[in-house]
Amino acid sequence: MALFSQTSLHGFQALLCKYRMFWPVSRCPQLFAVSFRIPSREKVNYFSFMTSSNAALPVDPKGTDVVLSRKRSEIDYEEEKAWNKEAEEISEGKLHSSSSVRAPKKQLSSHALLRHQFTTVQPPEKPLQAEEWKRLRESFQSPEIFEEVMLNSMVKCNSPIDVAKSLLTHVAKSNGDIAYKLLVKYLVLCVQQRQTSEILDVYDIMKSRFKIIESGAFTLFIRGLSNSDQWRKALTILEEVKKMMPPSRAQYESCIKAASRHQEMNPAFELYHEMLAKDLVPTLDVLQAFFNFSRGMKGAELQKELFGILLYLRENQLYPHKTFMRSIKLWFESVPERNWRGHLTSIKDSGQCPVCNRRLEDSNLTEEEYNNLSERIIKDVIHGTDTFRKTSPQEFEAFQKFVENRLPFDVVIDGLNVSHINPRKMQCENLFNAVNYLAKKNTRLLVLGRKHMLINSSNWKKEIMEEMQNKADFFFAENISEDDAFLLYATLRSGKHCKFVTRDFLRDHKACLSDSLTRHLFRKWQRGHQIAFFPSAEGKHIHFLPALRYDCVVQTTGDTWHIPYKDIFEEKYSYQVPRKWLCIQQK
Amino acid sequence: MQSANMLLKKIVRSSVLPFAAQHGMKKDLFPLSRTLSLSLCLKQDNSCSPSEKLDLDAWKKVMKSGLQEVVNETVSERKETSTLAAAREMLEMWRLAGKSVPENISEEQLKTFMECTSKSAQKKYLKYLHLKELHKKNDKRKMEEKKERRLEAQEQASETDVTKKNSFICLWANCMDKVHNWRAAQSMIFGQPLVFDMSFEKDMSVREVANTVRQIVLSESSNRRSIDPFHIHFCNFKDESLYHKEFIKHYREAWGKLLITVTDQCYTEVFPKDKLIYLTADSPKVMKTFDHNKIYIVGSMVDRSIKTGVSLARAKRLGLETAALPLEKYLLWNTGAKNLTLDQMMQILLTLKDTGDWQKALEFVPKRKYCGFVNKPVHELRKTVSLINALKLGKRQEEVRKQFAKNYSKKQTQK
Repeated sequence: MALFSQTSLHGFQALLCKYRMFWPVSRCPQLFAVSFRIPSREKVNYFSFMTSSNAALPVDPKGTDVVLSRKRSEIDYEEEKAWNKEAEEISEGKLHSSSSVRAPKKQLSSHALLRHQFTTVQPPEKPLQAEEWKRLRESFQSPEIFEEVMLNSMVKCNSPIDVAKSLLTHVAKSNGDIAYKLLVKYLVLCVQQRQTSEILDVYDIMKSRFKIIESGAFTLFIRGLSNSDQWRKALTILEEVKKMMPPSRAQYESCIKAASRHQEMNPAFELYHEMLAKDLVPTLDVLQAFFNFSRGMKGAELQKELFGILLYLRENQLYPHKTFMRSIKLWFESVPERNWRGHLTSIKDSGQCPVCNRRLEDSNLTEEEYNNLSERIIKDVIHGTDTFRKTSPQEFEAFQKFVENRLPFDVVIDGLNVSHINPRKMQCENLFNAVNYLAKKNTRLLVLGRKHMLINSSNWKKEIMEEMQNKADFFFAENISEDDAFLLYATLRSGKHCKFVTRDFLRDHKACLSDSLTRHLFRKWQRGHQIAFFPSAEGKHIHFLPALRYDCVVQTTGDTWHIPYKDIFEEKYSYQVPRKWLCIQQK
Repeated sequence: MQSANMLLKKIVRSSVLPFAAQHGMKKDLFPLSRTLSLSLCLKQDNSCSPSEKLDLDAWKKVMKSGLQEVVNETVSERKETSTLAAAREMLEMWRLAGKSVPENISEEQLKTFMECTSKSAQKKYLKYLHLKELHKKNDKRKMEEKKERRLEAQEQASETDVTKKNSFICLWANCMDKVHNWRAAQSMIFGQPLVFDMSFEKDMSVREVANTVRQIVLSESSNRRSIDPFHIHFCNFKDESLYHKEFIKHYREAWGKLLITVTDQCYTEVFPKDKLIYLTADSPKVMKTFDHNKIYIVGSMVDRSIKTGVSLARAKRLGLETAALPLEKYLLWNTGAKNLTLDQMMQILLTLKDTGDWQKALEFVPKRKYCGFVNKPVHELRKTVSLINALKLGKRQEEVRKQFAKNYSKKQTQK
């Protein structure tokens, strides 16, 4: 028996785990004998712990060898590991406990940890006999989760199904039962490999063995069966789920795809509407499936449904990605006797489509929407839960008075935001340039700022400030107030023609609005009224980007459709809109 | 022999000899073969050779034979209980599927679970219960270990049998309690007031209120143990509020005997306005020194969902002076929010009160939140930070800014 230190053994074990290798523990000793030369002093220390429960007995160095060899055979790996931990922590004085050896220190959710550590057991390539499984299990670090880890790695490596079966057989024979967890994992493997008959078998077994089945397994059944020729069975399983709980989005979508793949459009659309009624948001994937599978089919009813999907995109300001757009285009062009033609294009700043020369929808809101949005901005953004959070009632009142007396403005400027555009210049100079640029042809300007701008400082020169105040109206809020909320209010109060200037994306203000409808309105209004700017290359001028004139949503005039789409690779934020369009018209 | 057996088995399977099987002659035909018995307690046979064909579907048979009798579901009279029972079964299945679900769940918890508005809320709640259960189990285990150890120690002590002589009777805890209570009583008369503002209940969820109360209990105990305690006031405290219920949970009958002042009045009614200072991380003013003649107010609030400016709004509404701790000035801030827990706040204020030493006081800020203390003036520090940034980015800051501006304008043009 080779001599080796406990710590180095443990360390080497850890090393092995780190490098994702799976060594039967029994082989380790030989390795260590080769790899490590251990000073005897260390060894003595460690084994004096291990001898017995009361370490009060002196241990003579000569005796340790005997003890060691005896102990080695008795102590299994788990305890050893616990040992090393303890040995590092416990000083010699505290060793009056036997429990530290008896009961290994288990961390909270140590199983989860282990699961992370050993998920890379290499599954065997052929079905094994019970004996062989047994041996493997015993050589595994923590045998109680061996089957789980093994099945997990089978799923990962996509092992042949027979291997998994042989494991299950081994488990069934040794325990007389198979845990639900293992069945579910086996089911994942079956679904992955589309083993329909196996899926059905597992279904029968689960139905008879367990009183109820939880949603995860149901999802797997439905997904597995919907990809096979037994797809009708998936629909019946969905009905079964409905009796117990509202089905999940994934369950609905598998069924919808299965039905539409077999050209059964009516049940598919029924399920789709049912899903919408339950406030589940469909993935673009499933919407795309509708267009893909109804290609070339006739029927006014079907057409109406698909137009409904396009309008759903419009309502929710969703943009299809490139492949989805292609599906839409192909479907349109495949509709018999209608002669739809689709072209990819981009829209000019004027809002005209270069293909059909039609003007796109205006980005202006209706009167009602305007009033609604103004009210919500005042209620949610400015007041919120407590008016004092962003301003104070006196200040807001003063501001309202100030605005009412000077209406209407043409451009409202976020003074502090603009003043930071060029860090090499004084802040007031930046603002002065912007005001000069915008104050042409008697446009009425309002500049919002904070009171600290009035104090003469290195960044804010009094003379320049005074000169600016001749060209524009200024309102200075308290230093701890939010000026953005005022900006929104003043712009909205001035009416449709008024624009505002800031680089801020106004995300936090959008988030204050309580319902999604108003949030969409807000974004639409922002796109139509925000003038963004950036410094020119040499930093002398400021370029202003005009607000979008047209509205960027899916839109139709009856005989044309315009659909904005995004490239998959392009990251899209809620304030960015796609520049590419699909134009569809009837010849 | 084996191969012959196999062959014969195959013959039977291909039902060439169905009558034999039917008439139970199988046993006579293959006296030595291994038949697969489908009983639950199947003994492993060690004589199987690796060349033998595995029956891969044996597990199905085992599962099917090991069926429980079909449970006839009795329709319960009250629908309420049946939905609860169904939920309970569902949770059990989730647990079997290996999700984080507690083993035992009480009626009350089950109802809370049913009231969760969304699936993610349900998952979070279950995980919370699961972790709680694990902690409980571990604590129990540790207690038992401790017990064992104590018994062993006693045995050993009885063996050695040494009697110790001591001039003090061992009544430490009791004595200490008395001393602390005396001090707290003195502080009730002469101590500097410290106000906890209890008006945030509607801004918090139930769990947040529970956390708040736990933090206040900690602060109260650390105050009691200090050399010169504050006189703690709970202002805006409504009876029968959630706060109150939670406090009763923690203190039980000691709640009536606590040496603090609890009032439903606002602090502005109890103290002169010009002496009050509201401590809030959002304050634009930074505290320079601890003032012994002022009365500091701490908002009793835990905001897991970040709510900026709530306590500042309270102070603004009442026109009070505000202050924030000078964390920026003394600490090289690393990560995390600058709002500290109530017990940390208490420790900091106590230390300031005793010593006036910022460095000592700010020891109580969690170590993960800052990199180190600052002894230099701030502008020098700024240089260091910008230098660090420059080193990190491998560029001069100006260039970085320019780069940013460029990217920004690109973004804008893409818009």
